[in-house]
Amino acid sequence: MSLLQISEPGFESPVSTHRLAVGIDLGTTNSLVATGCGGRVEILPDLDGEYLLPSVVQYRKGSPPVVGEKAKAAAVADPENTVISVKRLLGKSATEIKNSDTVGRYRLDPSRDEKAPALLTANGSRDPVQVSADILKALIARAEDFLKGKLEGAVITVPAYFNDAQRQQTRDAARLAGLKVLRLLNEPTAAAVAYGLDSKDQGNVVVFDLGGGTFDVSLLSLTKGVFQVLATGGDTALGGDDFDNVLAEWLSLQVFGGKKLDLGEQSKLLHYANQIKHQLSDLESVELSYADWSGRLSHDQFSTLCEDLINRTIKTCRRVLRDASKSVGDIDNIVMVGGATRMPAIRAAVTQYFGKPPLTHIDPDRAVAIGAGVQAEILIGNKAANNFLLLDVNPLSLGIESMGELVEKIIPRNTTIPVARAQEFTTFKHGQTAMKLHVVQGERELVSDCRSLAHFELRGIPPMVAGAAKVRVTFQVDADGLLSVIAEECSTGQTAEIQVKPSYGLDADSIEQMLKLSHEHAQEDMELRALKEAQLEASQLMEAIDAAIEVDGGLLTKEEARVISSAITELKQALDKESSGRIHEQTEKLNKVSSEFAARRMDLHIGKGLRGESIDAVDQSNK
Amino acid sequence: MQKISQNFFDLFGIPESFTVDLELIGEKYRDLQAKFHPDRFAHADEQEKLAAVQQSSYLNEAFDTLVSPIKRAAYILTLHNLDIEHVDQSELGMDLLMEQMQLREALDGLSKDESAMMELSKLKTEVTGKLQQKQQSFSLDIDKGKLSMAKKRFYEMQFLTKLLKEIEINEEQRLGY
Repeated sequence: MSLLQISEPGFESPVSTHRLAVGIDLGTTNSLVATGCGGRVEILPDLDGEYLLPSVVQYRKGSPPVVGEKAKAAAVADPENTVISVKRLLGKSATEIKNSDTVGRYRLDPSRDEKAPALLTANGSRDPVQVSADILKALIARAEDFLKGKLEGAVITVPAYFNDAQRQQTRDAARLAGLKVLRLLNEPTAAAVAYGLDSKDQGNVVVFDLGGGTFDVSLLSLTKGVFQVLATGGDTALGGDDFDNVLAEWLSLQVFGGKKLDLGEQSKLLHYANQIKHQLSDLESVELSYADWSGRLSHDQFSTLCEDLINRTIKTCRRVLRDASKSVGDIDNIVMVGGATRMPAIRAAVTQYFGKPPLTHIDPDRAVAIGAGVQAEILIGNKAANNFLLLDVNPLSLGIESMGELVEKIIPRNTTIPVARAQEFTTFKHGQTAMKLHVVQGERELVSDCRSLAHFELRGIPPMVAGAAKVRVTFQVDADGLLSVIAEECSTGQTAEIQVKPSYGLDADSIEQMLKLSHEHAQEDMELRALKEAQLEASQLMEAIDAAIEVDGGLLTKEEARVISSAITELKQALDKESSGRIHEQTEKLNKVSSEFAARRMDLHIGKGLRGESIDAVDQSNK
Repeated sequence: MQKISQNFFDLFGIPESFTVDLELIGEKYRDLQAKFHPDRFAHADEQEKLAAVQQSSYLNEAFDTLVSPIKRAAYILTLHNLDIEHVDQSELGMDLLMEQMQLREALDGLSKDESAMMELSKLKTEVTGKLQQKQQSFSLDIDKGKLSMAKKRFYEMQFLTKLLKEIEINEEQRLGY
């Protein structure tokens, strides 16, 4: 099928001055890629015209990963080797994954570190960064096929509530996939941009984003093209999947009476629960039938089952409004994003809380990707920025461990980023030359209740008496919400050396190693391609010469025929060796020794042509 | 290009005063961010990108300081080379300490459930009113160059601001946030 046939009317192919950039919504359940074309931002479909790429990856022994719809279909038959909802695993420890994985879906590699877990698959261990990179690669391939060019950059969205480790791992996944990240954009901000496209709205907007596995609420103030996030809150462990789980648990109780189920049965039941949930978005009640059991579930019953989950979302809304010092009456619009907001129970709860119905006119699955696409177009320089600007906040307080395992907050949550805060530390021993800092993220008082981000070790502090050295440590959070730390000794101006050990995921060296491996593979891939091309060229040449000898063999002396034939033999030997270089060499040689023959043929046929005979006729006459 | 060490008031092009036009600051802030935000340097080299992150951070710090009365007051005092980190008890005065103790006792004496919400709200109004008075005095003292008086007002503001924060936390606890 031609690619152009599936594009929408008015969808023009990009002109040459256009730089290729995309917005990517790397979702828990589905991922999307959007780009600017002909002045509009569009979601790119795959060859079958599908816009959503299921964020599912299947690993089979010795073959490339299968991503998307096919992998999703395989999830039921081959759950052990099929990774779903990998986004939930980003920035998590092995224990955290085990604790949240009630159905035992993820098989962890026991040889891996507690803080850098990986999943066992038929094709070896895969950590969440690699799995995410495989999903990104599928999206990049889709975009590059469609746009017929190499991508120069991408805006990737993350839940506003993602912590530093989760953001860092998202960035690492992009690096591993060979993608330049222009910006990590918070999903609710992206959605607000999508809604703000056609309107010159001023005022306060709440974005209610309930995706497959994450929940975010952000309150933005819109002023003359500037989207400023005032407060954000959420729950990285709440999403549409949880509604499926609640329903599957209820079904399990009805159908199997609470008996423990194997992984295959659980996957099937979960799949069924998901279907029922979708049906209940349009229907008042649904007939149920599973195995030899049958029953009925009304929408109201479903709402009751999910009451706790729904209440949790509203509680987050209250928190965010309070953080921004706003009341319900200050809110001009509520925007719904994420597939799970299709549930009527959610819409009803939001309408009730805010006292007005939410906006739903943009497909909740697409709004985030469209917003990311707009931002990508601006950042890459295809679209004039004018006053358009997105000002995000850091979602969680950043602090350092102080005496007594208490947290000293350095950058409070909901501070507009980028932000830099400096803190002075001093030595407490004579001649002390090193210092350790433990950076944590979270709102609680005790270090153990917060999330450990990294351990920093400052070295090279000039030895002085206790308390004389003053080390100024600057905590810098960039526009992506990522932390970096700079330390300087104040009295000497000497920069202290910092060693970072991230508490979760892989350290910079491991990422480098993975990158190197992927580059080596890229090298292998390139060599393979060169070989294929050389093989093709060689066999085409040999076929042509064979055919020519059959027709015009008489034009050659015996010696000439022998030289050509020996060159062909050598080329065949080179083909057996499978080296693109040697094949090239021998192909060239054969070309050279047969060029005189080719020239003679040319003369002959032109001569015959001049005498009024067609080449076809010459060929015929020689047969 | 702005300097990272530039006075916050100069940065926004407004007179150095405790009384500020918040709307004007907001406008200037958005204009400046539109120029210096790292998003404007998405395809610049690493050096320029880092400079943009630093400038944009500085701008955020300036905005954050100027829109908050307590941070703005502290900033003005440091511009006058006053050390606000170290407090001399004699600078505070008995009246301030007595008032603080009274207000705190009132807060601690409230019941720990939702029934205290009305009382909390009353207390909040009282403390907010006091805070506004102190802010007005601070503004006058600064304008007249009475720096040591202004410094005392600042400490009063600081106490009341902290108390207000505690009242809010108390509210949140009772509302089950």
